[in-house]
Amino acid sequence: MDALNNLMYGFGIALEPINIAYVFAGVFAGTIIGMLPGLGPISALALMIPITFAMEPSSGLILMAGVYYGAIFGGSTSSILLNAPGVAGTVATSFDGYPMAKQGLAGKALAIAAYASFIGGTVSIIFLMLVAPLLSKVAVSFGPAEYFALMVLGLTAVVSLSDKSLVKGLIAAVIGIMISIVGIDLQTGTERFTLGSMHLLDGIDFLVVALGIFALAEVFYMLLRGGGGKEPKRNVIGSLKLSGSEVKQIAGPISRSSILGFFTGVLPGAGATIGSFLGYSMEKRLAKDGDTFGKGNIKGVAAPEAANNAACTGSFVPLLTLGVPGSGTTAVLLGALLVMGVTPGPMMLEQRPDVFWGVIASMYIGNIFLLVLNLPLIPLIAKILDLPRPLLLSLILIFCMIGVYGMSFSVFDLMLLLGFGLMGLGMRLFGFPAAPLILALILGNIMEESMRRALQISGGDWMIFVEKPISLSLLLIALLSLTLPLLKKRRKRPVT
Amino acid sequence: MTRLNINQWLALVLALFAAAYLAMAWQIPTFPLPRPIDSDLFPKVLGVSLLLLAVLLYFEKPDVIAGSDQIDEEATQGPLLFTPWARVVVTALAIAVYALLLVPLGFVLASTLLCVGLTAYYGYRRHGINLATSLGVVLALYLTMTRVMDVYLPTGVLPF
Repeated sequence: MDALNNLMYGFGIALEPINIAYVFAGVFAGTIIGMLPGLGPISALALMIPITFAMEPSSGLILMAGVYYGAIFGGSTSSILLNAPGVAGTVATSFDGYPMAKQGLAGKALAIAAYASFIGGTVSIIFLMLVAPLLSKVAVSFGPAEYFALMVLGLTAVVSLSDKSLVKGLIAAVIGIMISIVGIDLQTGTERFTLGSMHLLDGIDFLVVALGIFALAEVFYMLLRGGGGKEPKRNVIGSLKLSGSEVKQIAGPISRSSILGFFTGVLPGAGATIGSFLGYSMEKRLAKDGDTFGKGNIKGVAAPEAANNAACTGSFVPLLTLGVPGSGTTAVLLGALLVMGVTPGPMMLEQRPDVFWGVIASMYIGNIFLLVLNLPLIPLIAKILDLPRPLLLSLILIFCMIGVYGMSFSVFDLMLLLGFGLMGLGMRLFGFPAAPLILALILGNIMEESMRRALQISGGDWMIFVEKPISLSLLLIALLSLTLPLLKKRRKRPVT
Repeated sequence: MTRLNINQWLALVLALFAAAYLAMAWQIPTFPLPRPIDSDLFPKVLGVSLLLLAVLLYFEKPDVIAGSDQIDEEATQGPLLFTPWARVVVTALAIAVYALLLVPLGFVLASTLLCVGLTAYYGYRRHGINLATSLGVVLALYLTMTRVMDVYLPTGVLPF
């Protein structure tokens, strides 16, 4: 009953005209940005931070949540129409979506994606509503040692799942923490790594790094791949209508993948990409016509789409209840929240119920927008893919610049942005994953603070991290998350 | 002498960086009041971790460079200024020049110049559309930021 009352309270906030406008704007903008190949939800969210900066926190997060699942949905459009997923979470959608488009069934594939996204999103919001308050209650008992362990787990989970090379993932994470501690140490007032520059006394702004590593690096990467290059061939959209038997066929995959997707999203480090692949492979195994997967099977579109949207909502659970993001995308969201002056975590439910329940209620509305507004608009929105690539790249650059300058009014930060853009390009070329860096950048300061507070409590005794059962368990899971992929790799290696 | 592979080169660069970082970490002054953990400990842990990871990277077998197969091969045959890497260098220089000229020229002028110039450089030949779109987007952004969101952007040589 409590959950229902709270949800009603949330709807009171989300249904304010201005917030409805933000949900719509977020979903719409997210869909467009997600559609553009190469620009995923992280870039979309990073580009939105300067816009949300001056907003009420609840409105800001409502807008950003809309952008997030809009981007995931938009990614499926370019996956289906162009076989060029704008978002990693929609790669699995292209396996059957693109063959459907080639058969002239793009409209049908897009409609299935929209319905599946809607159901996946809605089912997982119900789970989020039920699970999040319970988890918050547990998290209230966390002390600094448990928080430190939890952050270590969040980082190792992202590192272990983000790339082929564990070492490179860890290096990215360490560099992320190094960037986060530049500036004045708030506990002692000591300057650290400012190189004598007064511009660095306040530290390096998260937005500068996020826009540089993701959006600017993406522009550089697209330039290397021939930014002015040839435009891909477009497909005919066709009808959006589904027959009764088709609806029956996709009902099972959508409901199973929605649940699977949600729980995948809750796990730190997993998220939309893994959720969608799991959903796809589960349905392929369960289906009688599994051999037609990859050739335009409608279940192959429905399952990953339901799973990736459900996982998106699932990833809000650790962010909102523990204050620890489980993915690069939610790390950017956390950064945005901190910029707006809101600290997510177990106390958020009590201190900022407007933000928490407002966002949850807005997700319902956002999902309806995704369905009733985006679906008929799809043929129109798809025109955005006709935007000449050279113009698009230049406009992204301008968005990055205005984003950074509008927040800090500092030319130095623009130069830093350029530096991080080049660093992001280098990381991409040499196989260093960006998600652990951005997550570490966000967690670095909180991690150090938790560690120092725990050690102050214990009088400098490091055993505090292993004496507490929750902290010990979390650290052990963190260790496992790093060693399991290594063991798996070793097992897979052929005997010579 | 065997040639170093890409991971070994990267490991050496990272190790040098870690050494410099550690040197700086050792120069962090200690807090006058005694406390169990000071400002320098965490950076020292980070520096040592990076050094160890660099050693591990040195012995890791390198992967194919990500995306190297996707580099625009056609463009590499063309004039030097239009090769993929030249595009990156020119764009980076353009951003640096933009940052320096933003305040004296103003946001609208500097951004329009950057957008039109780079779009044309990337190979878009419909200059009228280029100018109209760039100016339209920049003006829309400028007006939204300054009039709606009350964010100051430099006016420069233009009167508004």
